[in-house]
Amino acid sequence: MTAPGRPDRSPFAALVLGWILPGAGHAYAGLWGKAALFFVLITALLVAGLVIGRGTVILVRAPSEGNEVRSELRLWYAAQVCAGGPAIALTPISQYMAAEGTIDWADPLHEMGTLYTAVAGFLNLLVMMDAYTRIAYPRRPQQEDQEEDA
Amino acid sequence: MWVWDVVCGFFAHLVSRSNPLWLYYPLCVVVAIVYKATKCDEPRKIAYQAGHFFVSVSLGMFALALVFYVITLLF
Repeated sequence: MTAPGRPDRSPFAALVLGWILPGAGHAYAGLWGKAALFFVLITALLVAGLVIGRGTVILVRAPSEGNEVRSELRLWYAAQVCAGGPAIALTPISQYMAAEGTIDWADPLHEMGTLYTAVAGFLNLLVMMDAYTRIAYPRRPQQEDQEEDA
Repeated sequence: MWVWDVVCGFFAHLVSRSNPLWLYYPLCVVVAIVYKATKCDEPRKIAYQAGHFFVSVSLGMFALALVFYVITLLF
């Protein structure tokens, strides 16, 4: 299963598509198997993080804290938003659930959920860069390498 | 015997209900698969490398946690 490499495709488009939907960059590059794998795993990690953190982990701001600024939330959100479309789609849900109830910031499960979603974002960043490099620098077929060695 | 008690106490704490440490395992599995899938192309190689990554990281985490646990008992 070697990467076909598509020199006619734009690596920047793969990067942007990979951000909009995890794995879409690889689908654009013609790697459908990897695209499906990345989409399932990254989205599952995001949803699992949200469930573990009782739906209140993808937050732009802390709603129940009044005027208190929780600057660390922005750092976590910067990591989470790297997961692109699914993370942005889940943000209003998380924000709504946080507004409805109270958040126990010291709860280990809340921390674990935040970590899950942040790691999902970082993994998608890695996947986006992989999709970019696969188009920008296509891997040569193994046969060509063998011929060069000979 | 003191060291044995420490090691037993450490593993007893790991499986306690209040400790969500087990949640690191699925996280580590996903990280291993995604990371190795970006490096390898063959499914069999991805599975082997991801398994190797998971076992190494898990054992490393255990060793590090045990060291920190002993340190917290000393000070």
